[in-house]
Amino acid sequence: MMRFDDTPRLAVADLTPRTEALSYDDAMHLVRRTTFHPTNALAATYAGQTPAAAVADLMSKSSNIPAPEWAAVPPAQGQDFAEYARLWPELQRWWYRHAVGTPSLRERMVLFWHNHFTADYITVYFAQYLYKQSKLFRDNAVGSYRTLATKTIGDPAMLMYLNGNQSIKGNPNENFGREWFELFTLGIGNYSERDVVEVSRAFTGWRIAGLEGVYNPQLADRDEKTILGATGPWEYPDVVRITLQQEACARFLARKLFRTFVEQNPSAESVDALASIIVKADYDMQLVLTALLTSKAFFDPAVRGAIIKSPVDLVIGLASQYNMLDVDPRVILGVMTQLGQEIFYPPSVEGWKGWHSWISSSTFPLRQRFAENLIAGKTATGQSLTDANGQAVAPNPTAFAKAITDADDPRKIVEATCKVMLAVPTTEQQRAVLLEILLSGIPDYEWDIDTPGAAVRVRGLLQAIVRMPEYQLM
Amino acid sequence: MDRRRFLSKAGKTGIALATLPGVVDSFSVRALAHGNDALDRLLGTGDRILVLIQMAGGNDGLNTIVPITIDKYYTDRPSIAIPKSSTLRLSDDLGWHPSMAGFRDAFDDGRLAIVQGVTYPNPDRSHFRGTDIWLTATDADVFASTGWMGRYLETLAPGYPASLPDHPLAIQIGTSISLGLLGSQGSAGISFRDPDEFYRLVNTGSSEEVPASPSSDTPAGREIDFMRNVARAANVYAKVVKQAADKGKATVSYPNSDLGAKLKVVSQLISGGLSSRVYLLSWAGFNFDTHANQGGVAGTHANLLRELSEAVAAFMADMKVQGHDDRISGMTFSEFGRRVMENGSQGTDHGTAAPLFVFGKHVNGGIYGKHPSLTDLDDRGDMLMQHDYRAIYASVLLQWLGAPATLAQNVLFRDFASTALPLFKSATSVNDTSRPASVGITSIGPNPAVDHVRIRVDVPPFSNASIVLRDIAGNAVRTTSVDAWTGTCDLDVMGLARGTYVVTLTADRQTVHSFITVSR
Repeated sequence: MMRFDDTPRLAVADLTPRTEALSYDDAMHLVRRTTFHPTNALAATYAGQTPAAAVADLMSKSSNIPAPEWAAVPPAQGQDFAEYARLWPELQRWWYRHAVGTPSLRERMVLFWHNHFTADYITVYFAQYLYKQSKLFRDNAVGSYRTLATKTIGDPAMLMYLNGNQSIKGNPNENFGREWFELFTLGIGNYSERDVVEVSRAFTGWRIAGLEGVYNPQLADRDEKTILGATGPWEYPDVVRITLQQEACARFLARKLFRTFVEQNPSAESVDALASIIVKADYDMQLVLTALLTSKAFFDPAVRGAIIKSPVDLVIGLASQYNMLDVDPRVILGVMTQLGQEIFYPPSVEGWKGWHSWISSSTFPLRQRFAENLIAGKTATGQSLTDANGQAVAPNPTAFAKAITDADDPRKIVEATCKVMLAVPTTEQQRAVLLEILLSGIPDYEWDIDTPGAAVRVRGLLQAIVRMPEYQLM
Repeated sequence: MDRRRFLSKAGKTGIALATLPGVVDSFSVRALAHGNDALDRLLGTGDRILVLIQMAGGNDGLNTIVPITIDKYYTDRPSIAIPKSSTLRLSDDLGWHPSMAGFRDAFDDGRLAIVQGVTYPNPDRSHFRGTDIWLTATDADVFASTGWMGRYLETLAPGYPASLPDHPLAIQIGTSISLGLLGSQGSAGISFRDPDEFYRLVNTGSSEEVPASPSSDTPAGREIDFMRNVARAANVYAKVVKQAADKGKATVSYPNSDLGAKLKVVSQLISGGLSSRVYLLSWAGFNFDTHANQGGVAGTHANLLRELSEAVAAFMADMKVQGHDDRISGMTFSEFGRRVMENGSQGTDHGTAAPLFVFGKHVNGGIYGKHPSLTDLDDRGDMLMQHDYRAIYASVLLQWLGAPATLAQNVLFRDFASTALPLFKSATSVNDTSRPASVGITSIGPNPAVDHVRIRVDVPPFSNASIVLRDIAGNAVRTTSVDAWTGTCDLDVMGLARGTYVVTLTADRQTVHSFITVSR
């Protein structure tokens, strides 16, 4: 195999546990990567704890949001298109309430699984199915990948999305079978075209009844088939077993976890190291994530700020840092969509590609404008931000400054704001310019946080920071 | 460029016309010991534009160009085949999908080429790998981190991206940037959906800037550099793009569709004087991935083909009205075709070879290659390759964009010039000008040829020189050695079918290509 690819890669990751207590910077790094709430307050609660204690806490929490009332109503034939389309944004807001509700590693994993076992509302059509799928991800967010993969096969949203409910014995539809290997378990190069044919036979027999995917053995192809070298009358649970036995499956998952939590281009040795942890843990994600997120590799200074924020991270992250989470979810979700990440509508079955695909000549300035406007309390069209009921949601830069530091010292404001907002260290020159922006003309000895002029100045500082390319990193 | 203008320019540059015989007729230019710029000016390729349209998801070629006389097509596709009576006439044994009247008209006008059976050896049936292969122009088992257009475009702007050319090299209508436009120094293009929106995005907000931290070769440092480059290109080009869009216009009405709206933006920008060389457009989503209920005469796939055909027809008409059609060509591509046999859910699964379209005033219209066999299939029941997609890229680079042969070879990682198809009328085929050339085809005559042709070449004495004639499917039909001393070679073309052939001269480890037409 040849590569014309000169992407630099870090050396092998050290996955042994880090046991020293977290500094404030370590804690900021941890909450940036594991939650959508990279706030001073959250980091402060974990600073001083051990990585193991902090990660266990982040994993235990979750938002508890009641199901929408339509979620339990099976779709009826012949109902109006508009009736169903109306539910799509409601579904998105239901997800959003979880994401902003409780800072939690589980919520990041819900998004991780949505981006792994993808589906979109245009193809699935019925919001009930996507609700059910999202709940499946949340219930199993840090559970067994084996269980999740098995349940996903018969999940109605997946059956709709990749035509599993239309795949018939004798002439199967390959859509799900191919993506099962390529995108859900093994990754390309680890299976043959013949495996795609055979596995598609084993995935027949599914239909949807009401809100459930129903497996009917009578409709399934239960004849002998050879999948990844194993021959037998395999049905779908056998496929899971055979697939997860492959080392490639653990490697595939390991690479994705590295890219989500640590860095974009892990070395093959790093991937192998995490893969062997996955195999040892028999795909128990609680064990796997604990190992990864408490490892020395995770806290390595070399990977700080090495990940480009997704729109979800940027938008919810800034709103939470700046205490603006009450803003109308429709506005926030709209910005995420404009930036290329509409929840329940990934661009393809591969999901959001992430990394450089987030940043283009149009999305980069859009990210800057969104962030500046949010700091000013404005929408893109210059209106004041409100909550879902039309009540004003006013930003409070003074309160922000006071919450993070001794706001009577403009230098401390600059330093503390940089530490909260930026995942990479700033240079002395950058801080000097930021101080100038904060003071904007007044001598530093005249600084008084309790004057109206100070609020305007802190706002200016924050706007300058969120415009920096560095702000796009986490 | 017409012959008169060419000769007048050639005369002014002091090149002996004797060394340039048959330039316009044979599409061949003897290597010139000038810089690329001089060559560029001479050939008039410097302002040519390529519009790339990506049919993401894997277009079903068999229902696009329908093999109306093959029974197996109808028996393999009982629920989705296009009945012969519904197709639009293309040839005795092929029909257009009924949605494609726009393409049919362009074809009948000689402005559209159909290349049959396009894929690559060991085709990959993954959307993502397949797309990457097409965008990076690699073999199936080679991974590249840059795109073929990016590699080409960055050679047009030395110093990029530190010094940016006045106009963007490439534009993608959308919000993301394609791997195809990625060069070794980052993206060679910019992307936006709407010029006004783009301008507003870049030019509102404060201008206060925090200085960059010094570049550092760390993971974060590299991302910061990447973003600063993107931001700078956006800042520089937002105004240029808006000025062009404000000045430009569309003169025909475009269909009210995603692709129609995007091509209208392209038209406005070209009309307004933007000199970007490449435009890349695609649908949002993997629409062509028709695994289930794809429809036949009507339905999902039919609607997509209609959108493509109508939008391109409007765009070409618009460019003609505005007098830009001389410098615009377009090409469609898709990561793969679909399986011959329909699946059990009235759709088709991922396949391999499929037709590809090249359109424009200077395109040599016609059908390149036979329809792929529906019986001689690979072990998955998929059609076999007739043309490597990179042979078409080579045609575009060499003949349309005027790239020197070694540049095309670098861009495509291998030499595909010998299998290039004569897709462009005003084609130029040149050998490398970066080094003094000692090999060249000096004349081909008569051209068009009837029964025999004499080819004069310039090769070093005592070199081993040979000439190969290939048909447009890439099959060698004549091979002969050349008398290096006299530099002359006579070929009998009596037995050859009418059509265009690629002439390849190899000597002294150099290769030069030209074209002849056989007519009678």
